[in-house]
Amino acid sequence: MNNILLLEDLPEIRAWMKALVLQVFPQSLISEAARVHDALELITAVKFDLALVDLGLPDGSGVDVVVALRESQPEAQAVVVTIHDDDDHLFPALQAGAFGYVLKEQARELIAEQLKRMSLGEPPLSPSIARRVISYFADQSRPQERPQNMPHVSLTDRENEVLLRVAKGFTLPEIGVQLNLSRHTIADYVKQIYRKLNVSSRAEAALEAQRLGLFRR
Amino acid sequence: MLIRLLLLLRLAFLAALAASAALSGATPLVLSQAMSVNSSAAHFPEGAAAQAVRLPDDWTQSRPRYDGGAWYRVGFDLPSGAPSNEPMALYLARVCGALDVELNGQRIHSDARNAAPATRNCQQPRWVSLPSPLLKAQGNVLDLRMQASALQRVASRHRVGALSELHIGRDSELAGEHASRLFRTVSGVQIVGASVLLVGCLVLLLYAFHRRETPLLHFGGLLVGWAVVSALAWWPDLPLDSKLVEVLVCSGFAVVAAFAVQFLLSHAGLRSRPISIGLALQLPLVPASLWWADPNRIFAIASAWHALFALEVFATMGLALVITWRRQRDDFVSTLLIVAGTAGVLLFELATQVQLLPAQRVPVLQYAMPLVFFAVGARLVRQFARTLRAAEESRASLENRVKEITADIERNFTQLSELRVEQVTEKERKRIAADLHDDLGAKLLTIVHTSESERISTLAREALEEMRLSVRGLTGKPVRLADALADWRAETVSRLGQANIEADWRGPTEEIEHLLPARAYVQTTRILREAVSNIIKHSGASHCKVRSSVGERDFGMLVQDNGKGIPMELDGKLDRGHGMSSMKHRAKQLQGQCLVESGPGYGTVIRLTLPL
Repeated sequence: MNNILLLEDLPEIRAWMKALVLQVFPQSLISEAARVHDALELITAVKFDLALVDLGLPDGSGVDVVVALRESQPEAQAVVVTIHDDDDHLFPALQAGAFGYVLKEQARELIAEQLKRMSLGEPPLSPSIARRVISYFADQSRPQERPQNMPHVSLTDRENEVLLRVAKGFTLPEIGVQLNLSRHTIADYVKQIYRKLNVSSRAEAALEAQRLGLFRR
Repeated sequence: MLIRLLLLLRLAFLAALAASAALSGATPLVLSQAMSVNSSAAHFPEGAAAQAVRLPDDWTQSRPRYDGGAWYRVGFDLPSGAPSNEPMALYLARVCGALDVELNGQRIHSDARNAAPATRNCQQPRWVSLPSPLLKAQGNVLDLRMQASALQRVASRHRVGALSELHIGRDSELAGEHASRLFRTVSGVQIVGASVLLVGCLVLLLYAFHRRETPLLHFGGLLVGWAVVSALAWWPDLPLDSKLVEVLVCSGFAVVAAFAVQFLLSHAGLRSRPISIGLALQLPLVPASLWWADPNRIFAIASAWHALFALEVFATMGLALVITWRRQRDDFVSTLLIVAGTAGVLLFELATQVQLLPAQRVPVLQYAMPLVFFAVGARLVRQFARTLRAAEESRASLENRVKEITADIERNFTQLSELRVEQVTEKERKRIAADLHDDLGAKLLTIVHTSESERISTLAREALEEMRLSVRGLTGKPVRLADALADWRAETVSRLGQANIEADWRGPTEEIEHLLPARAYVQTTRILREAVSNIIKHSGASHCKVRSSVGERDFGMLVQDNGKGIPMELDGKLDRGHGMSSMKHRAKQLQGQCLVESGPGYGTVIRLTLPL
């Protein structure tokens, strides 16, 4: 992790986060931003490996930054750092392409642990988010709900299995044990689920834009 | 007693015998032979050569083309045995012309006003009293002068000169005959005519209120016109010139025919400008053609007009019939009957006029046409009633529809306003939640991460969690119990796992469909979180068992650890620092209970029961 974007409007928290990030990734170069506008400018100039994005910002939503990053720098990992723990806030961010989320008020060690895990490719997944993902893909697989020329992104049986177990309240390590899979494999499934969620959402958004005539063919 | 009864019976028998003898001797004389001379002289021309004629005498037969006066002479003897004190009378069933009567040389009757040849009062039977002083027992001479018109000078065969048989008898014998004849030919026609007039006026009145129903106007005009024309026929002694009356009657028929044609057309829903114009032109043409015509050609011209009228009516009736067949087949039979009846009556009348049929004793046309009119009127009334009913029904259905729609609108409005209230409430909740997060949340977060004191940052973190749960309780929808259990399980297991405490969580295996109110979800989350925090912080346990169960009406949860238990305070209550009282309080708020069993060295068991 070399270049890290830190988008946070509260100065104290930003400083605290910066210290935390430096502790987890000592070699990193941190670019700070307090507004969506600044962050978007930074994205055009610097190539990031990781972006820690707050959602509620004075000039907009961090989701826009996640989207911009996803489009211009697909390799960059966007992680939402927020005070909102409800899936009404988190799910759109995940759809936009966020790789995971961190709840700000958690203890320093816990956040450090989560950041480390995510950098290793183990995103978090809560039961309520899992339920949202399940119902989202269930709607997608119903042909009458899906536009005709919409590419159909579907989950594999294994991915579904993992999601269902998460939705029932099992933790990822528990599921690994239940399915006799390594921790790494389970994490891959979760990553794959996030990716498919993003792909499907973007296709949906593009079609919607087309329908509204935003793009002329 | 018996004798008196017998006497009475015998008296009654004798009385009956006497009455029948009187009747049998009182047969009225019927004179069907007369001597006749064409003359308009004031008295029977004694010198002239009289001809014998049979009565009834129809001038078209006996003296065609003759126009003027004619004298008739009959002689008669009084019926033998007639009591002389009873008044005698001459009764003539039909006299078409102005009549003067002389008995034994004395004038006893004169239709004085009709001095000129006039053929009116043709329907009026005549009744002439024979004064007894003038009567002789035998050899009475009765002279009658009739001034009448030739067929050529009248518009209808019904008004050509004619004299019926002479009936001479006692008043009482002839009165009945006269009265019934008078009723048949005059009063009855008057009654029917008045009825037609009345109905016509009603129809016109109806039209006045329903101006769009032109058939009503035409039908009303037809009826009124008919009543007037038929009044001209029976009205006694019109103070008008004979020719003028003929012209008027014929013109009256033109008006009636025009109304009939227009009625049939408009009733069939047709409109034709040429026909209307033609009918309008015909109206002045008819009187003009008669007025300036040769007086001897009036009958020919009038007959031609009448034939034309009949033809027009026939043609329109045929058209109406075709249209009815096409459009309202269920009305066809009644229409056909009416049309056939009209055609029959008109043909009958035409046949009478051209002498294919003998003249009738009763004015057939003036009885039959009103029947047709009443039939048509009944049909119109039925149609009107039908239309009215249809209108009523459609109005009722419209009213119902309006009611339904109004109810719909009201319901929708209620729903909308409820939705709006919900939306506004939801929006407000979200705003409050966002404000809390942005302001209070940010401040608490800053405290969490900047405080030097571990205790303060823990308190701030807990406050933040509290705030978040409160906000969720504020905005939340009911949560499926299964989902709630999953959330609790994930959180509990992962927290215990991070604290290196072995977690053993088992819940109901079957599908749970129960819903948990947002508040109950939040409170239970707090209780469970508190319990887990206690275990992690204070118990020193290495193992934690959680069991959840769903019953019929309640839901239970058991959290058991193998730690060192909670120490008792001095007053015998469990340690407040472990938040036991707040857990219990929260359970109580949800109408449930939270029991804590603990003893040093035995670990702690928390039993939570909540109603569903």
